[in-house]
Amino acid sequence: MSNMEQAAPRSLIFERLGGGKAMWITTAVMVVILAVLPFILPNRFYIRLVNEIMIYGLLAMSLDVLLGYTGLLSFMHNAYLGLGAYATGLFMIHIWPESIWVAMLVGTVFTMAVALPVGWVQVRTGGLAFALLTLAFGMMFYTVAWKWYDLTGGDDGLMGLPQPDITLFGLKLASSGNSTAIYLFTLAILLICFVFTWRVIHSPLGAVLEAIRENEERASFVGINVRRYKLIGWMLACGLAGTAGSIYILYRGYTGPGVMGAFEGAGVLMMVLLGGMGTLWGPFIGAALFIVLKDQLSSWTQDWEIFIGAIVILLVLFLPKGVAGVPALFNRQSGGED
Amino acid sequence: MKRILIIAASVLLALALAIPAVAADPVKIGVLVPLTGIVANGGKEMANGIDMAAKDKKTLLGRPIKLIVEDTRVKPAVAVSKAEKLVYQDKSVALIGVFSSGVGLALAKNIDKLNVPFVSTHVMTTKFYGLNPLVFRSGQLANDQTAVGNVEGILATPDLKKRKYYVLVHDYSWGHDAAKRFIALAKAKGVKVVNPDFDRAPIKTKNWSTYISKIKASGADGIYIALITDVIPRFMKQANEFGLMKTCRLVSGAAPGAVDLENAGTAGVGIFGASDYAWDLENFPGYQAKAKDWNTRYYKMYKAIPCDAAAHSYVGAMNLFKAIEKAGSTDPQKIAAAIRGISYDGPYGKVYICPGDNCMRNDAVLTETVKAPKNPYGATIYMKVLKVFPAKELGPPCKN
Amino acid sequence: MFAITVDIILNSLVLGGIFVIMGVGLNIIYGLNRVMNLAHGALYALGAYFGFSVVAVGGNYFLALLIAPIIVGILGLVIERVLITPMRKRSMIYTLILTYGLMFVIDGLIKFFWGVETRFIHLPEFMQGTVSLGSASYPVFRLVILIGIAAVVAALMLLLGRTRLGINMRAASEIPEMVSACGVNVRGVQISGFVLGCMLAGTAGVLAGPLFTVFPIMGHDMLISSFVVVVIGGLGSLRGAVIAALMIGFVQTLAEFFITEMAMVIVYMLMALILVIKPLGILGEGKFE
Repeated sequence: MSNMEQAAPRSLIFERLGGGKAMWITTAVMVVILAVLPFILPNRFYIRLVNEIMIYGLLAMSLDVLLGYTGLLSFMHNAYLGLGAYATGLFMIHIWPESIWVAMLVGTVFTMAVALPVGWVQVRTGGLAFALLTLAFGMMFYTVAWKWYDLTGGDDGLMGLPQPDITLFGLKLASSGNSTAIYLFTLAILLICFVFTWRVIHSPLGAVLEAIRENEERASFVGINVRRYKLIGWMLACGLAGTAGSIYILYRGYTGPGVMGAFEGAGVLMMVLLGGMGTLWGPFIGAALFIVLKDQLSSWTQDWEIFIGAIVILLVLFLPKGVAGVPALFNRQSGGED
Repeated sequence: MKRILIIAASVLLALALAIPAVAADPVKIGVLVPLTGIVANGGKEMANGIDMAAKDKKTLLGRPIKLIVEDTRVKPAVAVSKAEKLVYQDKSVALIGVFSSGVGLALAKNIDKLNVPFVSTHVMTTKFYGLNPLVFRSGQLANDQTAVGNVEGILATPDLKKRKYYVLVHDYSWGHDAAKRFIALAKAKGVKVVNPDFDRAPIKTKNWSTYISKIKASGADGIYIALITDVIPRFMKQANEFGLMKTCRLVSGAAPGAVDLENAGTAGVGIFGASDYAWDLENFPGYQAKAKDWNTRYYKMYKAIPCDAAAHSYVGAMNLFKAIEKAGSTDPQKIAAAIRGISYDGPYGKVYICPGDNCMRNDAVLTETVKAPKNPYGATIYMKVLKVFPAKELGPPCKN
Repeated sequence: MFAITVDIILNSLVLGGIFVIMGVGLNIIYGLNRVMNLAHGALYALGAYFGFSVVAVGGNYFLALLIAPIIVGILGLVIERVLITPMRKRSMIYTLILTYGLMFVIDGLIKFFWGVETRFIHLPEFMQGTVSLGSASYPVFRLVILIGIAAVVAALMLLLGRTRLGINMRAASEIPEMVSACGVNVRGVQISGFVLGCMLAGTAGVLAGPLFTVFPIMGHDMLISSFVVVVIGGLGSLRGAVIAALMIGFVQTLAEFFITEMAMVIVYMLMALILVIKPLGILGEGKFE
């Protein structure tokens, strides 16, 4: 939180949530804008695009929990999105096609169940070894999704997903095959995840995580069980990624091993850095910029990779804190509040 | 406040970039082809074929034709989101093209949502028979038809008939389907297969040395492959380098890509297989005139060797264009209804979309790659036509 | 059976040999600069393309083997000066992302200049045949490539073992302060290490070109494999990288022959196991920051 917002008057509710008033008002305004978007924007292509941005925003935010708050780098966080997507899809195809909620729960729980032993192993190392381990495990999951043809459909991907109704307390709201319905559903889940994560991060637990990021040794000296808290951060991040995966397959009606690839994983990392890590909301802006840029550039020019690569290089060189770092930059230039 | 401004500004920027452009005079057709990745050459040929059809047709319903080409990168998820762009944003009235059965099936899965007819010119999986009222296969032979052609070709050639075959396919739906079709038919007709549960190579395989060792170890003296067109000559080249082609002969479930065939040089000689088109058809009575005309014009327009991928994409596009004219509107259901039963007389004779299963029936050729005689297209290796199959011979029978 | 065994052993050595050159290059860069170069695969592809172009304009393959690495090396120098130097003080995450962006730029430039279609490096006449080894027959060019790999490794050993620059490099990757105290220009050594690593990537590209064909994203899989190699061998450990590379070459070939690529899961498991139990690699020579 910047100084400015801390100086602003806060009501109790905002204090409870752990953010500034301005921040929550912005969030509310954004949610309202996003919620009315499908009704004022007739072009469904953009609705699909914004939907994808929301899903990848959620994934990027989950990576931010790991990277920005716990200080752990995951090369292939998208592997956990993939796990969530495959688990949700397989559950709906083979076991129970009717309930979207149960399927999502299964996707998230399965992802966390896989992430637990992986995390248990990973937190025993740190820094670069941790990052390289995420690559090793990510590639492992990718290879299984890619080569276990009978289960996952291999390169063809998982097809034939049923489209259950979206229900709430037994009340049928809409079919998940409807793109507006799935869009609003994504938005709702996203909001829940965001508020939940924000709350966790701005609780004592979040403070512990940040302490670990800042200085692992010092944290352990004051009696913090570093490994346990790292594991908690990891599980939170993977659970959120699994949820993003569940929505992904519901939104796309399909998933393939491609979403779990190593280079897509680096793309998610890029979203976090583009938006600014350690902010939770930055990654959403990063995801929006990344996806819109990629979409626009790839329809303008065949050589979109050159531009996107150049943008990344320039950002790292000149704006390492991402979009979230812009205000600070601005402040410094104008004589500085910080 | 500043933070809010930043957030708001970024969102506005993102939205501003995404504001649609409006215009709706020409009839827009969405073309989905792979322009990057393993089959970029084939994708270019497909795009050429469709482009040539549009230039030949000039107008639809009195309006100009506008083709909007998007690159699928041979990835199902990419293809689906490009299809969404083509339909929702560009207002395409139909989708055409699509390489790879995996991509085709993923798109078919989403076609009801997109609600436009989808004419695949290159998908070979038999799953396309009667898949969806909006999904059509027009152009390329299907795997069952290729299997019939190949097994008949093997039986009619004494040197091929006595051989034992090792089956090697690309590891995705098309390859699996092709292998199963061939093996079942081979078994029924008494052609020997050494590995009935067939070998699968990942699509990205570049280094075939291990697969070649496996073929050597199996004791086979024949190889049946279902590999993506551009890869066939590369596989042949490596098989030659390892001395495999001294003992083995090769039968292919797909026609080799023209550009790659040239690149492989003499290593690409000896690929035997059924396919829908070869430019050599211009020397075949009954097809001569139309094939010659098409070849000449194709070569003149694109400075490329006329090939099978371009020809069946051309035919597929012509079927679609004819159907749109017949429907007299761009309404998706009306176009789809018009495609069923449409027929077109093109470079490889009269083709017909069976109304019962939405898939094309057409005459086909049995070819073998050999050194080319002097020709106007600058080809040094070509697919020599050994025999022409009339549509009926390859089946399956068309039920209405 | 003999023929198959010979095939498999030679194929594994060729594949492993390419991994050796890639892994050692990556490790030299990491050891001296503490930079995990994600663009290493793209530089490898670039080497293959330069090789292709040299042959295409009339040069021969051996000339390409000489020229392409030099061009890639010059590019490496530019990359070091313009992009890596400003990042020295920053967290490694930033260099990772930076080189990832660079990978995109190089991939894009390759497509821009050479197009997306697959290219073949044309080999001299004598390399196109097949040689008989008892009952086995093996492509001549693969044997030539194997010899090429051996030559590169030998040259590298000479450079690192016998020359002043090489000795400084090895010393600087162990204890840079000491080298600096001895009056050696450590920055200079670090820069030459980066350039040498890039040149090795380029060399690997030219060597691998005729094996795997030349195409724009040829570096992607190679990068992942190289990462596996350097982790198993120990980050920064050159001997470890050689052993790990040959090992992965054999495992990958055997896995393809006997099971499927699913067996690659075993390789990744091994990578994870090494990181957890022996983070300094199989020889215990690795360096972690």
